[in-house]
Amino acid sequence: MFELRNVEKRYPGVHVLKGVDLAIAPGEIIGLVGENGAGKSTLMKIIYGAVQPDAGSVLIDGAPVHFRSPRDAMKMGIGMVYQEQSLIPNLSVMENIFLGFEQQFVHLGVIQWRRMAQAARVQLRKVKLDIDPGMITSRLTFAQRQLVELAKVLALEERVEGHLVILLDEPTSVLSKDEIDLLFGLVRELRRRASFIFVSHRLDEIIALSDRIYVLKDGIVVDVLAAKDARVETIQKKMVGRDIALEYYRENRQVPFDAGRVLLELDHVVLPGRRHEVSLTLHAGEVLALVGVEGAGREGILRAIFGLKAPERGTIRIRGEAMRTFSASNSVAHGVGYIPRERKIEGIASGMNVYENMTLSQMGRYSRGGVLDIPAERALARDWIKRLSIKVPSEESDCGNLSGGNQQKVVLAKWRSGGSDIILLDHPTRGLDIGAKEDVYDMVRDMSADGVGVILVADTLEEAIGLSHTIAVIKDGEIRTWFNCQPGAKPSLYDLIHHMV
Amino acid sequence: MKHGLVMDNIRKWVPFLVLLVLVLFFAAVNPHFLSLRNFARIAVSSSPALMVAVGATFVILMGSIDLSMEGTVAVCAVVFAMLLNRLGGSLAHMGWLAIPGAMIAGGVLGAVNGLIHVRLRIPSFMASLSMGFVGVGLSLLMTGGNRILIGDPLFRSLLTVRIMSFPLMAYAALGGLLVAWFIQGRTTIGRNFYAIGGGEDLARASGLNVGRVRVIGFVLAGVFFALGAVLAVARLGIAETETGTGFMFLSITSVVVGGTALAGGSGGVWNTLVGVLIVNVIGNGMVVVGLPDYLQDGVLGLLVITAVYLSMDRRGLSFAR
Amino acid sequence: MTDRVALAERLRRHFPWITLTTLTILVGFTDVNFLRPDNLLNLAADIVPLLIMAIGMTLVIYIGSIDLSSQSIANMATVLATIALPSAGVGAGVLVLAVGLAFGAVSGVVTTRLKVPSFISTLAVGGIALSVGQFASGQQALHMDAGQRLHAFGWMVGRTAGIPHELVVALLLVVVAWFIQGRMTAGRTFKAIGAGEPVAVSSGIRVERYKILAFALSGMFAAAAGLVFSVKLSGGSPTLAEGFLLPAIVAVLVGGTPLTGGVGGVINTVIGTMIVAVIRASMLYLNIPAMGQQIFFGLVLIVAIATTIDRSKMRIVK
Repeated sequence: MFELRNVEKRYPGVHVLKGVDLAIAPGEIIGLVGENGAGKSTLMKIIYGAVQPDAGSVLIDGAPVHFRSPRDAMKMGIGMVYQEQSLIPNLSVMENIFLGFEQQFVHLGVIQWRRMAQAARVQLRKVKLDIDPGMITSRLTFAQRQLVELAKVLALEERVEGHLVILLDEPTSVLSKDEIDLLFGLVRELRRRASFIFVSHRLDEIIALSDRIYVLKDGIVVDVLAAKDARVETIQKKMVGRDIALEYYRENRQVPFDAGRVLLELDHVVLPGRRHEVSLTLHAGEVLALVGVEGAGREGILRAIFGLKAPERGTIRIRGEAMRTFSASNSVAHGVGYIPRERKIEGIASGMNVYENMTLSQMGRYSRGGVLDIPAERALARDWIKRLSIKVPSEESDCGNLSGGNQQKVVLAKWRSGGSDIILLDHPTRGLDIGAKEDVYDMVRDMSADGVGVILVADTLEEAIGLSHTIAVIKDGEIRTWFNCQPGAKPSLYDLIHHMV
Repeated sequence: MKHGLVMDNIRKWVPFLVLLVLVLFFAAVNPHFLSLRNFARIAVSSSPALMVAVGATFVILMGSIDLSMEGTVAVCAVVFAMLLNRLGGSLAHMGWLAIPGAMIAGGVLGAVNGLIHVRLRIPSFMASLSMGFVGVGLSLLMTGGNRILIGDPLFRSLLTVRIMSFPLMAYAALGGLLVAWFIQGRTTIGRNFYAIGGGEDLARASGLNVGRVRVIGFVLAGVFFALGAVLAVARLGIAETETGTGFMFLSITSVVVGGTALAGGSGGVWNTLVGVLIVNVIGNGMVVVGLPDYLQDGVLGLLVITAVYLSMDRRGLSFAR
Repeated sequence: MTDRVALAERLRRHFPWITLTTLTILVGFTDVNFLRPDNLLNLAADIVPLLIMAIGMTLVIYIGSIDLSSQSIANMATVLATIALPSAGVGAGVLVLAVGLAFGAVSGVVTTRLKVPSFISTLAVGGIALSVGQFASGQQALHMDAGQRLHAFGWMVGRTAGIPHELVVALLLVVVAWFIQGRMTAGRTFKAIGAGEPVAVSSGIRVERYKILAFALSGMFAAAAGLVFSVKLSGGSPTLAEGFLLPAIVAVLVGGTPLTGGVGGVINTVIGTMIVAVIRASMLYLNIPAMGQQIFFGLVLIVAIATTIDRSKMRIVK
């Protein structure tokens, strides 16, 4: 019923989509996978009307349609459940559900709140969410908001004739196991009303939920598989277009750490809002991964080590010295470097060039009496551009224009060039494609070899297992158990999940 | 969670508590402050300011800012006075048309302001500031620098006739506030202001025509500036270029003191009422307690900082711009 | 395609001075006398106090804040300089700058520590400065003794080889500000704060201190503007610098430093100030009647801003 035929899209300098065909039957769930840069997000944008194709056609029930905006697409029954949550936090749930479509509740210019609330309750029942529609959205949990988003899209049902097509963009990335099960159950139930296009980087979930899987690579659909015969490895291979190196996580380069040199110690630390004590030790050359579900308290520990959060009790010792003041500048001065999850917000200052970004944390070393030694800064940047093979025209290029992988390298160079030897990696490979990920893994090994201690909050469990020497499983702010992670003796996914939930 | 909700509810009332403390303080220093006559005086000074600040509130709720009020108020005041005098000089006859006339003038200026901001993609700070210059110039051109006197007793009754010791203009302003409250809470456009202030890209992704809503916001602001202008003329009986002077910083200050965030999305017209009253109570109180006038600007500044400090919701706010 | 984008991008950086030259030439067409060097020099000398204030303002806007206290601080400075002149001589200048620095620092502290938006905090601190000015002056205009003025600040007025000294003073201050902005850690930090404050914080920079410094410097430059102005007019009054604030902000923005900060800078503001000056002067040459000058100024301003500001990085225009 919904179909894309030979869809093309070019951006200046890139051919993003090269003749993509895609078809969805009523009630079908389609999985869409591909590496970053494969054209996934452009394809989705074309489907929900945010981007117009250069060539090819979009058909609904065989008739060609043109969407000039997401609103046009909505009117034809195509809705998007956004990855970055798209509810407006200061509005009530019902206002969010009917945002842009309030007119149906307006009588003589007045919004009839009662009628809107009733209508909203109908939508919320579809997703089995029992909350007051007048509640302010910012008070909902993440999972509840996700369901409200789904309800918002389902509200299209009453406004359009025919079937709905609902895009789910990485809907599970912030949900717990239970919540994911709930969501999947719901989606399966809703097949009576709608078709779904499910986008995720979690291939096991894709296989579990979808009927068919489209694999996108370099703007081409390289394969369409039936989910029941699909396996994670085969999909992965098709996505990358080659066998992923057995040594994807560079386990061959993992060497034992120096157990005699303690870099960082958390001694019975209690964080604000948490009840449990956290104790851990980081040695030179060690990669210590913190694993747990979203909200388990991994970020809190990172932020405490980086000084952004003061512990309520307990001691944080860096190279044996107990920290008394808690600020980012104090931690940086003690050799801690932080590679944040929100790269574009906390990692890279766009509008500033490569050398300015690299010396941001260490200007004292590149200045005398407050006057900067710009030639020295440039030399530093050129050196690290070469060492990390950062793809950039020159050290004067604006970092905002670099690709995610190169930005991450610049952030890493900032800390490494300053001699930081305790590096906190918060989702370091988020949003990077496989090549850039492999670069990051190599850099982690390089750091270990240089005696740097790394604390890792990884994007996936596989990544945590593959990279680390030690794994701490965290649940509800408490370290539940430890795993030794030497090559050849790594724990399995199951071992970890067992303790996580 | 519970605790958070309680704190939220308390914080909502902080501006009001600040107002209460101020009133009690000035009353303690000089009991005359607490008289009805004095409250009426505060009401007279607050009424035009309230209308202007309410207009600015709509724009600030969207996360934009409107600094054109001095020009718009001047133009509307002059348009009003000229129309009134041209149409017979009294509200009793055709002269009442001057009020909608002024509102149309305000709306048109607001529309130009909004269109410049949205169509030319100039930040509202600059667009409205420039429009403020244009407005002041326009009023100067229309009056030739002269004052226009309004003698109509019916119009002046806004100031002179009192019901329960408060002049009519206070009730007029209250009526305007209720209309604004209605717009804010019960109309699509009012809720859309909140939506844009809460997350502009999100609102756009939901299919909202953000540009249109913005322009309407500026038009609405212009209309309320016009109401402020009419009340300001009623207060002094004079319309001139100077009628608008001083509204810009005071109205923005009132909005912020009332607890509406400059970032947009939170607050509203009742907050603005409290904010306007705080600013005017301070102004009036300083006179009543006999503070030398050369100290008043400084004391006002200190009190405003304190009020904003107390009433701001700082959770999740890692830094201020 | 990409080349054209890159070209437009590169051109964009030059829009402010292209606008300035175009405006100057346009006015030159109507009256060639406008382009005479001595006329242009006089024009430049006339705007020195405004330029100095705008330079200080730039540093604050560069970090994404705003300073509405500049005019009041300049007013206060004219009063304090006039009062202190008989007893302190040149020291009056130092005193005034120190007071400006202190007032700016207070704005900074209120903004960063109390998290009051700078729009309000600087307005309030400006009120305090106004009160100080009114109190110190007894709310009247004061005059400098001609001899003392010449003795202490004579070097500021007068000309050498046809070049007004105050212009040299202003250029020196521009160079100082430019050096701070481009060559010193403080300036780099300002840029980082404007470009992305969270990045600066998570790079371990003590952001609050630098923000306070930016406000303090702005206060000092405002005081310097007041000092130059009072020497120029040989007196002081709490309303002497009235009408400076908005043109100073306009000069910064027209020059191409956006309110969000991070780009633009001191040199942009020099150009922006000159654009403002040319627009103002042009009204004389274009015979704009006095009544219409405000309208003309507002309209030309909109055009100037529409052509100078860089919207390529602005996803949302607020």
